[in-house]
Amino acid sequence: MSNYFNTLPLREQLNQLGVCEFMDISEFADGVEALKGKKLVIIGCGAQGLNQGLNLRDSGLDVSYTLRKEAIEGKRDSWKNATENNFKVGTYEELIPTADILINLTPDKQHTSVVNAVMPLMKKDATLSYSHGFNIVEEGMQIRKDITVIMVAPKCPGSEVRAEYVRGFGVPTLIAVHPENDPQGKGLAQAKAYAVGTGGHKAGVLLSSFVAEVKSDLMGEQTILCGLLQTGSILSFDKMIEKGIDAGYASKLVQYGVEVTTEALKQGGITAMMDRLSNPAKIKAFEISEEMKDIMRPLFQKHQDDIMSGEFSKTMMEDWANGDKNLLKWRAETGETAFEKTPAGDVKISEQEYFDNYTLMVAFIRAGVELAFETMVQAGIKPESAYYESLHEAPLIANTIARKKLFEMNRVISDTAEYGCYLFDQACKPLLADFMKKVDTDLVGKNFNEGKDGGVDNRKLIEVNEAIRTHQVEKVGAVLRQAMTAMKAIKTN
Amino acid sequence: MERVRVRPKMQRPKVHIENLNFKYQSNSVFDDLSWTIQKGEQWVLSGISGSGKTTLAKAITGLADYAGKIEINFDNEIQLPAKVSLVESWYQFKNVEGVANFYYQQRYTSQQAKETLTVKAELAHYGKENHLAFADVEPILNALGFAGLKNSQLIELSSGEHKKLQLVKALWLKPQLLIIDQPYTGLDVKSRESLNALLNDVCAEGVSLIIISNDEELPICINRFAKITGGKLEEISALEKAFTNSNYELGEIPEFLKQAPIYSSGLIAKMVDVNISYGEKEVLKNINWEVRAGERWLLQGPNGSGKSTLLSLINGDHPQSYANELYLFGNKRGSGESIWDIKQHIGLISPEFHWYFDANSTVLESVASGLYDSVGLFKTLPYSKKAQVDELINFFGLTENNNDLLNTLPLGKQRLVLLARTIIKNPELLVLDEPCQGLDNQQTAYFNQLIDKVCSNGMTVIYVGHFESQLPSCLEKRMVLENGEVKEISEIKNKNLTLKETIKDFELTI
Repeated sequence: MSNYFNTLPLREQLNQLGVCEFMDISEFADGVEALKGKKLVIIGCGAQGLNQGLNLRDSGLDVSYTLRKEAIEGKRDSWKNATENNFKVGTYEELIPTADILINLTPDKQHTSVVNAVMPLMKKDATLSYSHGFNIVEEGMQIRKDITVIMVAPKCPGSEVRAEYVRGFGVPTLIAVHPENDPQGKGLAQAKAYAVGTGGHKAGVLLSSFVAEVKSDLMGEQTILCGLLQTGSILSFDKMIEKGIDAGYASKLVQYGVEVTTEALKQGGITAMMDRLSNPAKIKAFEISEEMKDIMRPLFQKHQDDIMSGEFSKTMMEDWANGDKNLLKWRAETGETAFEKTPAGDVKISEQEYFDNYTLMVAFIRAGVELAFETMVQAGIKPESAYYESLHEAPLIANTIARKKLFEMNRVISDTAEYGCYLFDQACKPLLADFMKKVDTDLVGKNFNEGKDGGVDNRKLIEVNEAIRTHQVEKVGAVLRQAMTAMKAIKTN
Repeated sequence: MERVRVRPKMQRPKVHIENLNFKYQSNSVFDDLSWTIQKGEQWVLSGISGSGKTTLAKAITGLADYAGKIEINFDNEIQLPAKVSLVESWYQFKNVEGVANFYYQQRYTSQQAKETLTVKAELAHYGKENHLAFADVEPILNALGFAGLKNSQLIELSSGEHKKLQLVKALWLKPQLLIIDQPYTGLDVKSRESLNALLNDVCAEGVSLIIISNDEELPICINRFAKITGGKLEEISALEKAFTNSNYELGEIPEFLKQAPIYSSGLIAKMVDVNISYGEKEVLKNINWEVRAGERWLLQGPNGSGKSTLLSLINGDHPQSYANELYLFGNKRGSGESIWDIKQHIGLISPEFHWYFDANSTVLESVASGLYDSVGLFKTLPYSKKAQVDELINFFGLTENNNDLLNTLPLGKQRLVLLARTIIKNPELLVLDEPCQGLDNQQTAYFNQLIDKVCSNGMTVIYVGHFESQLPSCLEKRMVLENGEVKEISEIKNKNLTLKETIKDFELTI
């Protein structure tokens, strides 16, 4: 198998990278019709598998689960999840030949072996659905030509997919049809019906391509989402300890700070997040984030280049073949950092204090979101895709840090994201070393406004506001957020 | 605010409150309120919904800010912890990762990953924190019929069971001052009696009790009564009698509610040998039941008898309904309908529904969301619907709260909003699972008259109520569940005079 993207001529590469359309709710008027009466068989019954299946069935569709023989015989958790909720469960041999739509919700790493096992069992003209395009694009999996290949990717953890559905809403969802596998031209109608079945159409659906999804998803997760949040959290914590801030306080500020600041980001973009700072703090955060953008730009570009060329996935797949040696080593190291080992103190930190005493993180997030967005757009990814894979997902990842710090974040995200996150973090920390030497506790640990008179120069403030508000990520975000304002805040603390 | 905790001397009152003032937004809740509680006094605090009962309890416990003086004198001579504890009428639990983002339907899903703590783990944690011996909690668990739930996850508990769990903790701790906000809410007759016996016991051991309640069946240790009116506390000789349905006049109901519902089928629900279980635990056993259009049912049974689970089948909320023989609105369940196709026929409220409702919605959004069966409003309201929503909100006397967020309103008002939500679409079927929890007697009487009225236009009702004084008079059929089985299906006869008595007699025999 060779990297699918690299087999395409440049014209077609750009074509597929450029698929991106935010779909209007009126495009979903047919509801689940395209899947009505069809047999939907889901492979895997973990959090995504179970919760998507519950939603699809509650939308009037015929859903069953297929599991490996060992999982059934051993009555493993996936088997219990499915049977105790009264789903039909069967082996690959029993159920796959009956499937009209086969939904692959197994982890990325298993895709090649799973798809190789199921493909010969699939009936003619059936559909295979993915929730991530890595297997098709990076591993170059070839699917039988009569089979339709689609992608439906809810942009939230499985439990949220269910919770938002039962309350009558949904989570933002990305759909795609693989151009090499759409022999009857039915892929889009089926992907749309699937998004209706999980409730995604109520929260906004982005029509993308396998290529655009993979290249933007990898970029977002390893730079701003996981990589930079990890780097920023560790550097902030270490700085506070160095400057004598109470360790319990520092631990709590870092653990929950990202969640609080990105909640503002979710509701009103970079603008809303920056507006939570006082005027002098905002100007300062703007200035240092500009400086950080300059420092980190080459690193962001390198990540994007390696993703586009296939270099990143090649290196990672070598590690897969090597029993995840690097991944496991780096994961263990993350578990050993001082931040990870210091429990959050029993101190009350008000919502506003998370902004005032953690201006550095606001600057980190602005720099990271804008840089990731700009780098993706320069590489040919459409702004809407770039928005989803940078700003939109930041609060979701921040929430995992709030739950149980970075080790938890790395446990929850995919192995692919985790691998990229460590690569970024290792390269980024030395780059920021000189910058961090200048950082003092007014930026992290203490109230920035303490001992300052609060005055600012009018022209300077206007200039800063203008730069923040007119950035392209803000303009695209304002439109996309319209569709999802009703989403409930995910709060931990 | 001034909090004084001084060394006790003889004759010092247990609690002394002087000139307490509290404002909510710009309205005064307390206006120089004063109250003195002497040792040996056990109080009941009453008042209409929104009068400030809960706020006063929080102020005494130190959970709310106030202006004025609250002095609490603990007794060194008794062994009980020198603490004030409040059992709130509302209790928010979180999952193991600290997130409280659930919806009530998720109770019914079987998930291997343990989402929330078990009762046992929760109690172990509480016992450790407060240095309590686990052996001491066993008799309390047994008395409240809670022993069988030790291995249940918190998310699996019903609201009545959550209430009991909070009561168990308080009775285990035995703080010197114990305040319980609405102790009887959601409890069946037997549990209420057991609770009163347990409260008598802790009083005898030296606990001072403040119960916030408008109910008449109180523990015998209660010897003082107070009522909050106009921001002040006044002592009364006994609780005022509950309003009966006849002494409160229902206004003109909105025009859209005068229309008879349009039934899609004469058969609302039919269950044939329905069974629901989680692993070994059977929740419903061989249920056979038929509800026809226009019937008015009273559904009863002790806590944990399976009432909520039964209703969840009708509302399309239970994953196991797909494996049972169940017909809803004329269609077999699992024949290609979506849960939204089912819910459009139903107006629903239950304690769990209220509990998990999105309290960040405004009053207007909450009521309007009933048109779409969603928790919170995700659509722009068309003009004609907006007028209907406004009319209903006005009928419920909530117009001035139109744009308030639910979580800024007292529980009684929140409940009224959600009751308005149940009838906004003039549905074929009303599922009212303890609809009047948190309402005062007058509000309850008013709502029940409304139910009588809409029933006279042909609406179908399934009503769950533990409190005999809180039932509408239109109910004509009764089903009783016990341990997941149908114990009785009968006609309610002679309802004007004896509904209250017959139900009471009946419940006492359970």
